[in-house]
Amino acid sequence: MKNNRFWAAYALLFIAQLLLCNYFTFTPWIMVTLLPAMVLCLPLEIGTTGAMLIAAATGLGVDLLSEGILGINALALIPVAFARKKIISIVFGADLLARNKSFSIRRNGLTAVLMALIIGLSIFLVIYIWADSAGARSFGFNAGRFGASLAVSLIFSVLTVRALTTQE
Amino acid sequence: MPKRSVLPGIVNIAVFILLEIACLYLLSHNSEAQRTWIADAGNAVKGTVWGSTEKVRDYFSLKSANDSLAKDNHLLMEEVIRLREMVRRSGADTVKLASLPGYTVIPAEVVKMSRAKQHNYIILNRGFEDGIREKSGIITRDGAVGIIDAVSAHFSYALSFQNADISISARLGTEGGNGLLVWDGKSSNGAVLKEIPLQYKYNPGDTVYTSGHSLVFPPDIPLGTAGKAKIINGSTNEIEVTLFQEFKAIRYVTVVHNDSFDEVEGFEK
Repeated sequence: MKNNRFWAAYALLFIAQLLLCNYFTFTPWIMVTLLPAMVLCLPLEIGTTGAMLIAAATGLGVDLLSEGILGINALALIPVAFARKKIISIVFGADLLARNKSFSIRRNGLTAVLMALIIGLSIFLVIYIWADSAGARSFGFNAGRFGASLAVSLIFSVLTVRALTTQE
Repeated sequence: MPKRSVLPGIVNIAVFILLEIACLYLLSHNSEAQRTWIADAGNAVKGTVWGSTEKVRDYFSLKSANDSLAKDNHLLMEEVIRLREMVRRSGADTVKLASLPGYTVIPAEVVKMSRAKQHNYIILNRGFEDGIREKSGIITRDGAVGIIDAVSAHFSYALSFQNADISISARLGTEGGNGLLVWDGKSSNGAVLKEIPLQYKYNPGDTVYTSGHSLVFPPDIPLGTAGKAKIINGSTNEIEVTLFQEFKAIRYVTVVHNDSFDEVEGFEK
């Protein structure tokens, strides 16, 4: 039941990401992404390999259905899935992993969740912006894009975590 | 404490690499800019890897490069000796021309060499089966380094110039006085030119050559440069010489044998 709720929310957020990719494109400085938060919130029963396959499918789905380049979201999202358990272990402690309990803002605090999101978003954005610029943009532009995208995506990601994690 | 298996970690890494490669493949086939960028990055990686392997390969081929250079050096040395002889003969009369000796030249490699004693020696990787004979001179492009003292089938034992028992007949400048050049017994490139008559004037920095009077070494091989002098017994100069040859660096040498050595030695007996 809990899982069904999670996957329904995951599907809705996937659609939200498509809308963001296709319609929330006001400036080249900002790209909004929910994907790292979605991957970080995957149930811990799912191992790293499974998480990477889900991340690849999610990223390719977004790439296929949005105006991006096929493969770019998946390229950036798979490393987040690869590092997911490490990030959770560092930020929330190994105990959470041992008990396979998911994290939430209420249980673990906003600061810790923000920390995990910043790490996940940074991995994603660095790879995405680096691959997207294809060596044709200046470091200044890429750095500015990274900072602006991180700030905006972080707000949306907190909402994503709230939607995907139980708040009991 | 139970041991954790490393297999899941390896599987994770393998899946991660495969998925990333698949994504890069998709990326390169769906955008011209990304395709060029990935190709450039690939070329940069290839260039770095190939450049590094090339450096490693170059390092391991140094031995054969050295051998090849030594052979070239030997051929050049032979040519220099031949040309020197031609120059000398062209300026000489016909009687002298007939009496001038030729030299047999054989390249060799130093197998062992002592430097820290007062009676140092050199062992070469060539013996009488290679044409080496006793009383042959050992030279390099930087000067004379020793004299063959004993020969076996495949090796030869030589007295190094850094040996108190060795002296080389040397000349100061192109037309200066002749004397005996001996090792100073202290430094690796220091020597003393003895018995230079006082009437021969020289300047510090003048080159010292082999005189060609000893039958062992061909004439006119540059040996070093003259330095300070002191008068001995009021009759001769003793001049400090800085040798061109750095003995620490010797590896490849050329053995020269005067073809008329035995004949001339026969007269002396």
